[in-house]
Amino acid sequence: MFIQILNGIVYGGLLYLLAVGLVLIFGLREVVNFAHGALFMLGAYIGFAVSAAGYWWGGLVVSMVAMAIVGCALDATVFRTLRKQDHIVTVLVTFGLMLILETVVTAIWGKAYLRYPVPPLLAGTVDIFGEPFPVYRLFVIAVAVAIALSLTAWLRFTRIGLYVRAASTDPRITSIQGINVDSLSLIVVGLGTALAGLSGVVAGPLLSLSPTMGNYILIDSFIVVVIGGLGSFAGAFIAALLIGQIHNFGAVYLPWAATILPFLLMVGILIWRPTGFAGSRT
Amino acid sequence: MNPTAQGTLAPSRPRTANKALVVLLIGAAALVAGFVLPWIGFAKITLSLLAQALFDALLATSVGFLFLQNGRVSFGQAAFFGLGGYAFGILVARNLAGPELALLLALAIPTLAAFLLGLVVARVTGVAHAMLTLAVGQAFYEVAFRWRELAMGDDGMSFTLPSKFFGFSASRLQDPGVMVVLAWSILVLVLVSLTLFTRSRTGQIAAAIRDNEERARFIGYSTTVPPALVYAIAAFVAAIAGVLQAVYNGYIAPQMFHWSLSGFALIMSIIGGAKFVIGPAVGAVVLFYIKDVAGQFAEYWPAIVGGILVVVTLTMPQGIIGLAVKQWRRRQRR
Amino acid sequence: MTELAIEGVRLSRRFGGFTALDAVDIGVKRGEIRGLIGPNGAGKSTLIDVLSGRAVNWDGSVRLNGEDVSRLTPQERRKRGMARSFQRTNIFPDLTVEQQLRIASWAVEEAEIDEVMSEFGLVALAGVPAGEISYGDQRRLDLALALVGRPSVLLLDEPAAGLTMEESLGLARTLRDLVTRWNVTVLLVEHDMQVVFSICDRISVLHLGRSLSEGTCAEVRANPTVIAAYLGTEA
Repeated sequence: MFIQILNGIVYGGLLYLLAVGLVLIFGLREVVNFAHGALFMLGAYIGFAVSAAGYWWGGLVVSMVAMAIVGCALDATVFRTLRKQDHIVTVLVTFGLMLILETVVTAIWGKAYLRYPVPPLLAGTVDIFGEPFPVYRLFVIAVAVAIALSLTAWLRFTRIGLYVRAASTDPRITSIQGINVDSLSLIVVGLGTALAGLSGVVAGPLLSLSPTMGNYILIDSFIVVVIGGLGSFAGAFIAALLIGQIHNFGAVYLPWAATILPFLLMVGILIWRPTGFAGSRT
Repeated sequence: MNPTAQGTLAPSRPRTANKALVVLLIGAAALVAGFVLPWIGFAKITLSLLAQALFDALLATSVGFLFLQNGRVSFGQAAFFGLGGYAFGILVARNLAGPELALLLALAIPTLAAFLLGLVVARVTGVAHAMLTLAVGQAFYEVAFRWRELAMGDDGMSFTLPSKFFGFSASRLQDPGVMVVLAWSILVLVLVSLTLFTRSRTGQIAAAIRDNEERARFIGYSTTVPPALVYAIAAFVAAIAGVLQAVYNGYIAPQMFHWSLSGFALIMSIIGGAKFVIGPAVGAVVLFYIKDVAGQFAEYWPAIVGGILVVVTLTMPQGIIGLAVKQWRRRQRR
Repeated sequence: MTELAIEGVRLSRRFGGFTALDAVDIGVKRGEIRGLIGPNGAGKSTLIDVLSGRAVNWDGSVRLNGEDVSRLTPQERRKRGMARSFQRTNIFPDLTVEQQLRIASWAVEEAEIDEVMSEFGLVALAGVPAGEISYGDQRRLDLALALVGRPSVLLLDEPAAGLTMEESLGLARTLRDLVTRWNVTVLLVEHDMQVVFSICDRISVLHLGRSLSEGTCAEVRANPTVIAAYLGTEA
């Protein structure tokens, strides 16, 4: 039972890393990045390529840096150029980018599933209440918790964090106060996509690698973001944990319904509150 | 309409009747032209691909119509496409209904489902709507994928058409030449009807709600029913496409629900011009043509489509028809 | 039987600790044009929002032609003859002028649309999408949207906001002509005192969410409390 809960937290943690990136980007640019799952996937492949050369941790770092660069480029070229247009236009462009990235990865690495190794440091299991549990999974939880804590601290105690929170509540506020939204959003979008790269690498050893590996988890993190309320950091955290648990308990106890439970939950919540748990924006 | 009441105050009014007539005439001409399609020497394989392109065009029309009338971008319209195809396939394969009744149910179920969903989903706007419809569509996909007893799950299910369909030999529906003419005629009828709908009072009310929901309430309209009606009509069109594809292939599979299908239909409607009833169908045909030309690069097809989408949204957000209309207006002004 | 076309009884609305409306009573007789004035923050727009069904979480009751409509939605109130315009232009930008007027006038004759369009000088713009016409024309369209369909009660929230003096007075004249001809009861919120005094039969004054005074133009102009609270030198 406890092991099940832990497994739920592992998946919830991965969802959180993706969802919080979506929330960061949405907060500043009011855009949902449909390419986020593809960046997760690309991050995993880049990490895989580096770790194949024997540098697992190097793969983690390289992937995050690479995705941060991709994110900054995305912000500078697409989000900034299209900020005056209807936001749905930007969404469509990110959707097109997703298709391109998937094809590029397929062309390089092929369609076959690839196995991402667990780093030697984190191999093996520990006993939790007499049951073996992979150390690596504990590591995933630790990463998610560390990111959640540092992100909260960053948002709460730094000047930039304050602006980000203000912008997430109402994007007009920052423009009134004369903050340079463009450089702020460069940082924030880069951070969001770096987190996608991080979660891609971290998820690599848990899921197998394929060019479409980002699709399923993207949809789940959309559900997290919608349930949590677009633009809400706390909402995303709670919703990610919730979906993680539902995902896992469903898989064990209600296998026939497991995959649609999150969808039903989302529709239910939107009927009840069209802006989600903690959201005030649509 | 009383002609004397029009007077000189509204010179545009007599023209509206003419415009409807023009739409009907163009539709009739297109309908006739359709019968020529199988006779201009296309290879059978081209005809077959063309039939598929016409199904795509219907689905794209459905997505585009939702955007045009409700201002909502859907990433889940394949749900109704799949629902139509599955309802028909399952009812026929299990002898639960004759083909005529199966057709009726296969169109009615998605339409009704969309109406009910539309009452809820229409409250959500913009980007959240895109995410919500994506998720709802994937929920359908998951059910079709996991539930083996329904229709063989992941593998999909073949079924044989009964020998007679409305008194005609049903097997002829799987002849590309026949299907192309049928799908073309249906597409034309759908486009004409949707055009007339957008000009009707209900269509205009839906457009008003899309434009400014609050004001629509204050001029006395319920703002839940007209959008839901548009969802229903759009789903009806998607279901027609789904049934046609199921009949033509004699096969249904979960991919009919998949979000990539919804996404491609959305892309077609953007490329063609989603602000025009006819735009999405044009986009579907153009993409079909490009795919034909780019045959040898088939494995890069998603990237090509993605690239086209990016270029179109950045350079001509109104799509092909939008660009054509603009050019035409500019020329007229000179 | 009451002669009041629109009546608000003990209307209150609070936002957190701030009281926007404090037990305000208002009643407008059938066929009357009533001005509603008061300094910024007096609660004028809130009062219109409560009467028209736009506001949520308020207390009191609203009667339309003697019927209690407190619980009715805006569209139900419109069906019973109540219409309103908006301070911030609230039109349908993608529909043409004629298209939206035609929709707005459910249950009326075609001829009436033509009449409203010509009264407001919108005939030449009939086929133009409303998002593309000038601000002044949009203001007139906003008002026209409320007027087609011949409401029995019309609530106007600063219809002349942002217009030039000349445009405001023109709008006021047109309004006066139409509502008199169609026997529409009007409650008009307006900052421009010239507009108010030129067309209103009586005036109510709100101050800090309370009713301060009510009377004819002359009475209000002469009322010392009103002068002290609001009119000041303008009177």
